[in-house]
Formats: sequence, C-alpha cells, structure tokens
Amino acid sequence: MSSIFVMAEHRNQALADISLQMLSKGRQLADQAQTELLAVVIAKDTTGYAEEVAKWADRVIAVKNDRLEEPLAEPYQKILALLTKERRPKIVLMGHTSLAMDLAPPLSVELEVPLATDCTDISVQNGDVIVTRSIHNGKVNAIYSFAPCNTVIITGRVGEFPIEEGNRHGQIEEIDFPLEEEFSYKKFEGYVAQEVRGVDITQAEVLVSVGRGIKEKENIEMAQQLAEALGGEVSCSRPVVDYGWLPSERQVGLSGKTVKPKLYLAIAVSGAFQHVVGMKSAKMTVAINKDAGAPIFKVADFGIVDDLFKIVPILIKKIAELKDR
Amino acid sequence: MTLLDYKYADTIHRCFRCGYCKFPVNWMDVNNCPAYARFRMETYSCGGRLWLIRAWLSGEIDWSNHLAEILYSCTACKNCEVKCPLRFNVDILNMIIAAKSEMVESGRIPSSVKEFLENIQRQGNPYGHSRVKRGEWMEGTEIEPYQGHDLLYYVGCVGSYDDRAQEVARMLGKVLQKARVSFGVLGNDENCDGNEVSKLGEETLFEMLVEENVAQFKKLGIQKVVTLSPHSYNAMKNDYPRFNGSFDVMHYTQLLKSLISDGRLDVSAGFDAVVTYHDPCFLGRWNNEYEAARNVITAIPGIQLIEMERNRDSTLCCGGGGGNFYIDLLGGSERSPARIRAREAHAIGARILAVACPNCLTMFEDAVKAEGLEEELVVRDVSEIVAEACGIM
Amino acid sequence: MDIIACIKRVPDTSEADAIKIDGSQRDIQKSGLAFKINDWDEYALEAAVQIKEKLGGTLTAVTVGHQEWNDILRRALAMGADTSIRIDRDVASEDPHIVALILKTVIQRLPHDLVLFGAQSEDFGSGQLGAMVAEMLGIPHATLVVSLEAGENKVHISRELEAGTLESYMIGLPALLTIHTGINQPRYISLGGIKRAMKEELQVMSLNDLGLSVDMLVPMMKLERLELPLQGKGAELITGTPEEAAEQLAKTLKGAGIF
Repeated sequence: MSSIFVMAEHRNQALADISLQMLSKGRQLADQAQTELLAVVIAKDTTGYAEEVAKWADRVIAVKNDRLEEPLAEPYQKILALLTKERRPKIVLMGHTSLAMDLAPPLSVELEVPLATDCTDISVQNGDVIVTRSIHNGKVNAIYSFAPCNTVIITGRVGEFPIEEGNRHGQIEEIDFPLEEEFSYKKFEGYVAQEVRGVDITQAEVLVSVGRGIKEKENIEMAQQLAEALGGEVSCSRPVVDYGWLPSERQVGLSGKTVKPKLYLAIAVSGAFQHVVGMKSAKMTVAINKDAGAPIFKVADFGIVDDLFKIVPILIKKIAELKDR
Repeated sequence: MTLLDYKYADTIHRCFRCGYCKFPVNWMDVNNCPAYARFRMETYSCGGRLWLIRAWLSGEIDWSNHLAEILYSCTACKNCEVKCPLRFNVDILNMIIAAKSEMVESGRIPSSVKEFLENIQRQGNPYGHSRVKRGEWMEGTEIEPYQGHDLLYYVGCVGSYDDRAQEVARMLGKVLQKARVSFGVLGNDENCDGNEVSKLGEETLFEMLVEENVAQFKKLGIQKVVTLSPHSYNAMKNDYPRFNGSFDVMHYTQLLKSLISDGRLDVSAGFDAVVTYHDPCFLGRWNNEYEAARNVITAIPGIQLIEMERNRDSTLCCGGGGGNFYIDLLGGSERSPARIRAREAHAIGARILAVACPNCLTMFEDAVKAEGLEEELVVRDVSEIVAEACGIM
Repeated sequence: MDIIACIKRVPDTSEADAIKIDGSQRDIQKSGLAFKINDWDEYALEAAVQIKEKLGGTLTAVTVGHQEWNDILRRALAMGADTSIRIDRDVASEDPHIVALILKTVIQRLPHDLVLFGAQSEDFGSGQLGAMVAEMLGIPHATLVVSLEAGENKVHISRELEAGTLESYMIGLPALLTIHTGINQPRYISLGGIKRAMKEELQVMSLNDLGLSVDMLVPMMKLERLELPLQGKGAELITGTPEEAAEQLAKTLKGAGIF
C-alpha cells in the first residue's frame, strides 16, 4: 500500500490535540500496512510544528507561505491537492474539525476520490481501508469500505483516537509554496473570541449541566439552585445556547468549552458526542434523564432514569438535609 | 383579516381594568388568576393581556418573545370569564386565544410551545414519545381494545404517557371492570383530543385532530365515550359536534356517580380519611359540573369531605391548562398556583387532595413535593379513592 | 436575491430508545419512527426566509427523495419558500457525492445568488454535501455558519471554530453556505400554513429530466453493514421512587466528598 498522509492543524501557536490523535492513528496504520507516514504541516511559519510532527512521521512536508497566516481553507485545498496528485498516498488523514468541514469535501471533489468523515474507527484489512461511522444520534454504527481507488480521504472524530508517544525523527522537507491565486471572492475579516462575561466554567469544581430537556428558560433556576447547593456552576449543551436560554460561555462541548470538574451532573442532556467530548475527563459524571437509551448513560458513572422535574427538587432538599447533619 | 381583527378589535378596549378577572371569593386578595398569582403583575391578568393585545393590534407595541410568553402563560381556566362583570365577558378568553392564533400563524411562539405542537403533529402527543408506546399503560391489565363495547374509555395524552397518570388510567380501568362496565380503549390508535391545541391557538391543527378522531369513532361505531380527563371531555362535548361528531360524552366522575347510585359499584367498605376536592377548570367552570365528584366522594363511608374556601367556580387553577403542564410557564416558584393550592389544602387540615384530572394530578404531585408536604398530604385521583373503597387497591 | 435551500427528510431518532437494524443489515427498522425535516436544514430555511423578507427575491426549496419527501417541501413552502423541487430518487443512504452531483445539476439550471444547506444531517451526519456542491458549481463556500448578513452582492458571515471562537468572512456572491444550529429561531409552521402550501404545485423531476442517468452515479463507498454499538459498562443506575433515588444520589455525592 502506498503512503499515508496526515495533515496536522495548528491553533494558538500549538499543534491541535486532534492532530496528535490523527498522527498516532496514522502511525499505527502505517506500521500495520508497512508503509510510510507522511505528515503535512501548512503554516506561515512551520518551525516548531514540523519538528513536533516528525516524532510520528517518517517524512514531514512543511509548506510555508506568508499568506497562510489567514485561516482560509482554499489555500490548504490547493496545497493538499497538489501534494496528493504528486505523491499519491493511499489514505489522506485529518481530524474532523471546522477546517476539515470547509476543506475535505471540495478536496474530494477536486481529486475525484471518496471521503469518509467523522470516523470513529479506521483499519486496513487485506489492503482494504475500512471505516466506522456513528449514525442516528450515536445509536448505530455503520461500517464502510471503498470502491477501488488510488486515494481515500478520511477525517477522524475528535477525541476518539488516543495519543501515543511519538519517538521518531522524520525527515523534514520544506516547501515555499507559491500561491498565485488571490481568493478575492472570500476575505477573512478576523476572529471573534469568546468574551468571558460572567463565569469561567472551566474553573468550576462542580458543574450542573442542563440540556434541551429542561424545556424552558425558567427551569434553569432549578439547576442553579442545585449548583449552589453543591458549590458549583451551571453549564449546558448546545441546544440550550441555540434557544438563547444561556450564554455561549456556559456551553460544554466540541464548539464550547472542555471541562474537567470533580462532578459533572448532566440533567436532561442526551449525551450527543459533540457534548460528551467536552466533559469526558470529569472525575465523576452523573446523569438524570427520562430516556433510558440516552447516550449519556454510557459515559456516566451513575444515572437516574426519571423525570428531572421530579428528581431535582427532591435532590436539592436531600443535599440540604445531609449538610445539616 | 384575522379573527382578532374581524371579531374582537372593536370590543377589546372595553376592559375596564376593574380587576374582577382575578377575583376569588372575597376581597381579601385578588389572586384567582393563576398567572397573576404567580407573577403578581397586571400584565399577567386577563385585563392586562387584553390591553397588551390591543396595543399590539394598534401597532403601539411589537411582537416580542416576552409578549408571547405573557399570552401563553394563560391557562384558559375561565376564572376571568366567570367573574368579569361586563357583558363582553363571553369573549375575553377567546380574545386571548385569538391573539395566540395570530402568533401561531406567524410562527413566532415560545420554543416550548413550538415543541408541544410539533410533537403532536408528528407523534400525536405533546411529549414527542412514539405513537407505538401510547398503549403501554395497559400492560398487566386485561383492558380490551374497543370492539363494539358499550363505551369507549378515552384516556388522553397525559394518562397514556405520564408515569403517575398511567397509574390512574389503570386504576379507573379496574374500577370500571369491577362494576362490569362494557368498555374498550383505543390503545396505540388513540390520538390527541386536541383540547390544549385549541387553547394554544393552533386552530387548523385542532380541526385536523377533531376530524380524524370523529372519523375514527364513527368507523368503529362508537356512540358513548367516557373520558379520564376533563380536557378531553370539554373538547368532545363542546367542540366535536361542530365537526359532525356528536357523541354521548361523560367525564368518569359522572359515570362513577351513576354506577354508585345504581348499586353497580359497592363502595360500602369505605375507609377513613379527611379529603378535600379540587375542582378542575375544564369540568367545573368550563362545563358547570361541580357535584358529580362530590357525590362520589361523600358516598364513601368514613370519608369526611371538607371544602377549601375557593371551591367550585372559584377554584384556583392548578396551572396546568393551556399546555402549561408541559410548557410550564407558571412553575419554578413558591407562588406557582399548584403550590399555593397545595398549601391551601394542607392548611384546612385535609390529608388527601382529591383530583379528577390527570393534569391537576401531575401538577399537584410535584407541588406537594416542592412544598415538602409528602408526609401530611397525598394527592389522589377520585378513581383511586373509589378503588380503595371498593377493595381493589 | 435568488436563494436556493437544499433540505433533507430524516427519521426522528432522538427520543427513540430502541433502534433496531433490519434484516438486510444495511438499514434501520423504520416502522414506528416519525419523520421530520433535518434540524440544521430548518435553521437554513429560516435564514433564507429572513433574507428574502429583508431583501426581496425568490426562495426555492430543493430536495432529492421519494414521494413521501413531499411533506418537507410543503413545510418549506409554508415557511416562506416560493417554489419547491423534488428530484425523484431514493438517496437517503447514498454517497454524498452522488447526491451532490444531482443537486449541482439542478442548481446550475436555476438562478442562484445564495445556496444554503444545513451543516450536516441528523441521520448520517457526514457534513459533506454543501461544500461538495459548492466545489462542483465553482462558487465560494463556507461551512458551519452561525451568523449571516446578506447584502446585494456579498454576504458577511461568521463561522464556528472549536472552543467557541468565530472566524468572520466577507464572501462575494454567488456563494454557498452551510448553516449551523443556533443562527436563528426557526418559526413554527402551523398546520394552516401547511394546508395552504398543499394547494401549491410541487415540481417533481426525474434524473432523465436533468440529463443524468443511473450509470453516471457511481458509488465510491460501500456500506458493509450496520451494527449496534457495544454497550460497555455504562452508568450504575440508581432506581426507586424519585424520593428514594434522590436520597441515594445525595448520599453517593456526599460519600464522594462533593459536598
């Protein structure tokens, strides 16, 4: 099998965790298939990144250009398309990130190759690439293979693949990439960072997290009372922010914050992967949800399958009673 | 022109702001409008809402989420209509519902109301639970699917899906079985009666539900219906005839009353208890039925029936009407009407708060717990009281 | 402004606690499931209708599916779309690039300043379709859009990155955007609205009408099978009445030193 590419992303002057995860997985696949792992790093200045990814890769292609300071996906697409046509890897791997959502589908069209996104497992069996995707709200797994082709593009689910220590010294090849195109039809105007107006939930020891099942903004007060009783803060899943019930700074998950509290008490949170990825490292997780099949029960340590409106008021009382003793 | 423009725009200004819409039984307080009791702002009384609707119609104020919530916090309990001294009182609740209709048509309603209605559109119940689970409450009983029986026992959404209400649905079934009543149920084929949908202003959805139910009942040859919920009773008795659905509809308390007086149900075993009865809005103020449940309760030896000061047409709504058992705009406070009522029942020394509506049942169960009164006051449906008196429990 | 919104019909599996895999091992059992418009697509439609209300123009809703998919087109019309088109082909589980090719063929025949998709679908969640169609059409795109301001020849958008940061862009039209949840509050679609929409004609096209044939739609991926995920240890469930369960939980939390 010909080589495996991993495109490594960087954020805030460091390699993104997801890229380390994909490098680890890529390394494992390359070892199994007895082929080369080639890491691609694309940045205005690739120093530092290239050396880092070289710990996993046999070779590193470090692509530099001043205009790569802006986060447009279009130059990335041009670069990867060229490299893929040149070097013809069997697999092009990257994390299923915001950048990948902009980049991978057009890349697959340009190269006329298949794309499997947000995969939870990737393997090579008898020279065939097999991937697993999680569908139907995490309740079913779908296993796919590919029609005969030279290259497949795969994006891997964030947090799915463990980071294994890299101990190689891949050969680094630097390329100054000429970007002739202007991409004038798309102009980057800047980043808008999260303002922390009230609360930094990443600092809380206890989080009482509410999901869509809380049903009305007014009911969040109950969660607030519970949080206070436990000395913690209220956080939430995405739909609560979508509905405008809590500000986005309280959102836990892929597009929100990653938290590591002592206790994560999830109330009426279904436990969709995008949320779970933000709280997986909580020391203790408790879930209260009416739906026995909610994915949250798979990651929780303790759970109550019941109506939160019945449980939470009593829970608040019981905590007060136990405190008094 | 919308209904609001056409029918009500000319008279909506007639609200005198006298405050009678909140009148309970005496002038010690003006708190018998459940939303006003909860929020203590004129905005949340019938008069307040009428003035807001008027301002909205004339363009003085714009639609906002807050306005929508103010309107949807109305539980349609009818205290205002019954107490308002002006001649246009027959229209005042309908004005609020018409204003809700306008919001429904524009699509701008609170998200929980949107969910409520979308769930009914999709699954025939406001919870969004699967239709194929609607009949699960029957498991373990020997209740039969309707097939030419004397009566259809119509359970409704709350009785079919809410845990506590399911217990009552089963218990009533057992009582009817004990009295050898010939009845059957629709199980998974039962669809929402539409009462709340109508009070939420979704007229066309209501029409669709009624038409479907009427067609279903006629196809099965159903002529007599006994309902668990006063909400179903209200819709089927008062609205279904407009859609060619004239059935002989009873609320179960009316049936139990005649079963007892006919000697078909023997409650002579009785048991001792001090009970107070909470009049449900959709049986009481909406349909003038105040005595059936009382007759049933007082027929049971050992039971002492005491009355809360606000009873019959002055009952304080539990806060569960107008979809609020789900959308819950009046919850989350010790001023929630259900909690106020639970305290009232407790204060007069009742040990059992008797209800005849699954919405009231669930609202009060939560309220009693929130008040910490579980040791001293239990919420029981009238059917459960009768069951115990017959030795079924 | 001429807007096209592409929408999908999906099964409602969020509340369903027991999804079963059917005999073919390649699909789930659909009986007992209700169907709805994909969540993300609802947000996209609402965004499209709001732009139309502000700037005028036309909105066309497009879908690729079998006859039962007409119901989502009715909802789109009820929400404010002017016309709707269904390409009659069952593609619910087909390769995204096949669906993309079909959509691209339809879209390029219609006037389009702005093409909107939902960022991904609730059932398969590949998140590929929109960006693929953009590439095929040769127009600029942005995915995961959480804010959108449309002008005559351009749009200002911000798209969502990890950890809640946003990137903003100005993009010249025609362009394609995939819309993320939370961008707006989709309006309720009343049954009255749907009934009125029932009276409107739905345009149905076949592959032939588009000049496409089945052998042009070559799958690049093969669904081997569906499996139910391994249960794993999962949570230790605390049972009993709400009173008992809450008490047990409170004791557990105290025992763990939480308070």
